[in-house]
Amino acid sequence: MKKLILLLAALALPLAAQKPITVKGSDTMVIMNARLAEAFMQKNPSIVIQVTGGGSGVGIAALINGTTDIAAASRPIKTSEVDKLKARFATPGFATPIARDGLSVYLNEKNPVKELTLAQLRDIYTGKITNWKQVGGGDAAIILYSRENSSGTYTYFKDNVLMGKDFSPRAQTLQGTAAVVNAVAKDANGIGYGGAAYAKGIRFAAVKKDDKSPGVLPSLETVRNGSYPISRFLYLYSRAKPSGAMKQFIDWALGPEGQAIVTKVGYFPVK
Amino acid sequence: MKVKLLMIALFVCLPMLADDAQEFVAESQTPPAAQAEQVPPDPEKTDEPSDVPPAEGEPAKETPTLEELAARVEALTEALTENRNTTDLLSKMKLSGYIQAQYVNDERSLNELNGANTRNFDQFSIRRGRVKFTYQFLPTSKFVLQPDVTSSGVSLKDGYVEFTEPWTTWKHTLTAGQFNWPFGYEIMYSSSQREVPERSRVVRTLFPGERDRGVMLSGLGLNERFSYRVAIVNGTGTAQAFDANKRKDVVGRIGYSFGAFDFGASVYRGEDLVATSTNARGLEFDKERTGIDFQWATPVPGLGLRGEYITGQQAPASGTTRSESQDVRGWYFYAIQNIGTRHQVVVRADEYDPDTDIDNNAVRTINPTYIFHWDSHSKVMFSYEFIRNQASDPDDDVFTLRYQYAF
Repeated sequence: MKKLILLLAALALPLAAQKPITVKGSDTMVIMNARLAEAFMQKNPSIVIQVTGGGSGVGIAALINGTTDIAAASRPIKTSEVDKLKARFATPGFATPIARDGLSVYLNEKNPVKELTLAQLRDIYTGKITNWKQVGGGDAAIILYSRENSSGTYTYFKDNVLMGKDFSPRAQTLQGTAAVVNAVAKDANGIGYGGAAYAKGIRFAAVKKDDKSPGVLPSLETVRNGSYPISRFLYLYSRAKPSGAMKQFIDWALGPEGQAIVTKVGYFPVK
Repeated sequence: MKVKLLMIALFVCLPMLADDAQEFVAESQTPPAAQAEQVPPDPEKTDEPSDVPPAEGEPAKETPTLEELAARVEALTEALTENRNTTDLLSKMKLSGYIQAQYVNDERSLNELNGANTRNFDQFSIRRGRVKFTYQFLPTSKFVLQPDVTSSGVSLKDGYVEFTEPWTTWKHTLTAGQFNWPFGYEIMYSSSQREVPERSRVVRTLFPGERDRGVMLSGLGLNERFSYRVAIVNGTGTAQAFDANKRKDVVGRIGYSFGAFDFGASVYRGEDLVATSTNARGLEFDKERTGIDFQWATPVPGLGLRGEYITGQQAPASGTTRSESQDVRGWYFYAIQNIGTRHQVVVRADEYDPDTDIDNNAVRTINPTYIFHWDSHSKVMFSYEFIRNQASDPDDDVFTLRYQYAF
């Protein structure tokens, strides 16, 4: 009998060990999370971590309905989402800031405009400013590229740059920051926004808090010291305080190796 | 969603463009009849380049010019822009809902031929079938309509418009139409999420239907920790289409969140017009409720506690000999234990005293329930209600087996 129990335990253990930890959510964070997971799994082959995107809202919804272990979010969780989490799982959730991001404004490399104030950005994206010559550029219509509304980047930009106002209906919605970067890289009159990690083939606009402030580019220093006006934390949300393999992964991601990967993919370390 | 639609549009448009290209080439480069009689190329060597012109009716293989391609791309872009405008509009519409199919076994059940006054409660039924339509074009206004389609018929649950001010972080919102009474916690907690089949007896009795018609002002502030809702309503609920008395009722709740612990206080003040044994035109009776509620996500993993206490005055039933409302009180308490992500074990205890001046006439219920979350959309609920009436205790326990799908 004991042998049978031992045999069953031996069979069950690998099954238990193989249950993957799922990370779902922010498209902004998906490459960083995948790199973190790959490096972590190489060091810890018995732990499987599955990373998928979909947007911060989708990740948090999955956390609430129990279909993911970790929600990756590029914005803080909303009060209404905390209420749902409390109602369903009797927990307000647990947030771990894993990286910092300077939410960058992308311009085409041929665009003569170098810097924009927050007010100009708001007017551009709400449709009040429609021509580059209104902000010191050439006489050409501004082509707006934006993200889908399930994206944390979209929500953050709307709340912190547009101050809650609605995007212009002319803004073209693209899925993923990489698609926004690609569109701006090909469109001389395009403008987009997203994480610094994706900025290839375009250049950043220096962002000014107001007319009198100097234009600031997103960098480790300016994001850390708060002089870059549009910076944010990137979070991993779990239902409870992480424990077991999940804690092992998050602790490692916050450690020197994990934060080195964060920096390598273009974000800024939290420590 | 939009990307998928664009892909579908591309799939639909590309063959059409291909057909156009074939026709264009066929018209301009159709070979003379004599050439058409030449030996056709060996089908097995189709990969090899051939100088033989295509036979009559066959498409030519000449590549379109850049200008032609540019024109087609422009046409396609226009078509896609139109499609995008349509999908943008559709994306402002949100559709959600749930259906609850159930079997109930009730100890009170007796065989009964007259369906209108049935005494047989043992049956399969659709308890709730909700579809909620929300349209929000701008963040400053919203349209909501929620019908309920069940075995008993169709009724309107929610129907309101919302106006939200854009100037402050409080987002003060004015709601007009038919909506939940802003009182306590259980009324506003969705039936799709509730961990037992029905609301507590005190809430069902004092707030039948949970909804009324009127206007409401609400907001969320102090770092989103404080919330308020205050409404002026008819006071008659939704069971009847008209308000019998001219006076309107006032109801409201304030709430504060300490993080894992939330607290609320509610007040209702109004009057009911009731026909008495001496006055068929009706007398106005006080209708008052005062309540406090809490919700606590405890430090014990997965354990949540919830409770509410309500006291007040309730108008008597029509034809009464009384001239004053009767004092009522009631409470409920939930203990909800989550086990993993798919299992929930719940116990709710509740009590309702319909007249506090009379001893031993309260009704107490203990309602143990188990919920299995089959997947992220559906769950199965097994629930048993032990009902104890202090005055006389007939056999009236109820077992409910319910399956719910929500989207």
